[in-house]
Amino acid sequence: MLKEELETIAFLARIEIKEDEKEKYLTDINKMFDYIEILQEPDITNLKPTTHVTELRNVWREDILKASPKKVIDMMLNSSPEREGTFYKIKRVISD
Amino acid sequence: MDEILKVKASELRTKVHSGEIKSVNIIEACLTRIKGTDFKVKAFLKLSEGRSLKQAAHSDEKIEKGEKYGFLEGIPIGIKDNIMIKGESMTSASKYLENYVSPYDATVIEKLKEAGAVFVGRTNMDEFAMGGSTETSAYQKTANPWDIRCIPGGSSGGSAAAVSAGMVPFALGSDTGGSIRQPASFCGVVGYKPSYGLISRYGACALASSFDQIGTLSKNVKDSALLASVISGRDYRDPVCEPREGIDYVSYIDSPDVLKTIKIGVPKQLLNYKIDAEIAKHFNEAVEKLKLSGTEIVEIDVAAYKYVPALYKVIMCAEVSANIATFDGIRYGYRTSSSKNLNDEYAKSRAESLGYEVKKRILFGTYVLGAKNYYKCYHQAQRVRTLFINQITDAYGKCDFIFSPTTLQMPVKFGETLMEECDIFLTAANLAGLPGITVPCGFANSDMPMGVHFMGSRFSDVKLFQVANAFEKISGFDMNKYPEL
Repeated sequence: MLKEELETIAFLARIEIKEDEKEKYLTDINKMFDYIEILQEPDITNLKPTTHVTELRNVWREDILKASPKKVIDMMLNSSPEREGTFYKIKRVISD
Repeated sequence: MDEILKVKASELRTKVHSGEIKSVNIIEACLTRIKGTDFKVKAFLKLSEGRSLKQAAHSDEKIEKGEKYGFLEGIPIGIKDNIMIKGESMTSASKYLENYVSPYDATVIEKLKEAGAVFVGRTNMDEFAMGGSTETSAYQKTANPWDIRCIPGGSSGGSAAAVSAGMVPFALGSDTGGSIRQPASFCGVVGYKPSYGLISRYGACALASSFDQIGTLSKNVKDSALLASVISGRDYRDPVCEPREGIDYVSYIDSPDVLKTIKIGVPKQLLNYKIDAEIAKHFNEAVEKLKLSGTEIVEIDVAAYKYVPALYKVIMCAEVSANIATFDGIRYGYRTSSSKNLNDEYAKSRAESLGYEVKKRILFGTYVLGAKNYYKCYHQAQRVRTLFINQITDAYGKCDFIFSPTTLQMPVKFGETLMEECDIFLTAANLAGLPGITVPCGFANSDMPMGVHFMGSRFSDVKLFQVANAFEKISGFDMNKYPEL
């Protein structure tokens, strides 16, 4: 991983990294890369990727809207650092 | 240390329900023990003193009046701080959730409430369960009760230390790559991770969803079975929870001849690692004890063990990056006070509230999921996971359980690091969705405990408890010995 790549990844992951932290991240992440190189070794021809170990199938239910009690809605909204009425309040999405 | 604290949970249960001892007295003893020793151990992040005493009094009243009471009525338990209890804080040992109040109960908590268990307090952990030493907690470092200069292991280090020190008879933990079993071994207690899907994770803070399971820590195997009996069973709110009803593991646990009927596989690959000499010695003794009990021991060959730590790293970090992406500082959690716009708000909120280990894993996970690395890293790791599962499945054609030391190393001092392969035989269970249990088997170098690990095939949990319980009786480990604090 190069410094520019780290900066791109940090932007994609929405994590701010300070200039003086970059060196440590790069060293550690590149060490992780070296460590996983071993995964290129085995012959995995014809093997499918495993995403989950369960053999469960999706089950379906009717798509019916159920209203939550006001108490529950309030409790969820109150978890927010900032609310206004029944909305979450956030910074403007579009910059000037 | 109060003698009452040495009574195991299953016996406490009988004594409390028969009216022989009062729940209030047990809770008081636990609280006294915690207050007297936890300034050294730092296992608990938060105590629920008033509430737990009140609840215990209520339990005693129910029992006295002959009213209907629960399966674990009046019995104390510690809860890892990544499992939600309605109306209480849950930090996952992160600054991000410092002021978070759980809006609902996790399924396991719902079940424990119904069973009448008393929640004494919240146990410390690595931040969002990311770590193997409990050192990444944003709040405090938990010490190993057997030697407070050493780590308790992690991420469920608080739960392991609390049970080990006799502060609570048992506790809940979570296990993604060994996070229950490794600290259990380091602290000399039993740790159980179920087959993937037997215990609901609804209401637990996610780390890597294809590996995460909630499980138990206790002084003996029977108590883990007792707790597992209460918390397992289907739950439609966890989409990967198996449609199986809960099992009363305790009623099956005594199977005196089970060791004569099973074949135990010891991986040939153990020879490839630098195992602590004392651990190797105790493990070999354990194998001999099993042989003497009539167990057939066979060698198994799972060449793909060597890929376990690497493929775990890739898939775990990838899943972390997806799960932690839900922490936006908008709906709940920490929000920065100095942002210019929405993107800046996300970036600063995370930068200010998450620890280095968490951020590193998110960045690595994001990178291996990116277009450039997806096939080479993530997709490749998922395919090597298939290879590993195939080889493990083949191995179960030759044996019923796979047996190994729980860890390859003894607990290290604070600040020192464990080798990458330390938990390899534990992580194997998470990769393949298998049940695993660690049972203490002796004291190695300078009186530190160590454990051995049984890993069963998928859904062999009932028999796994039987085998572990039978082994415990021949292990020679004195479970009535407690660390001096």
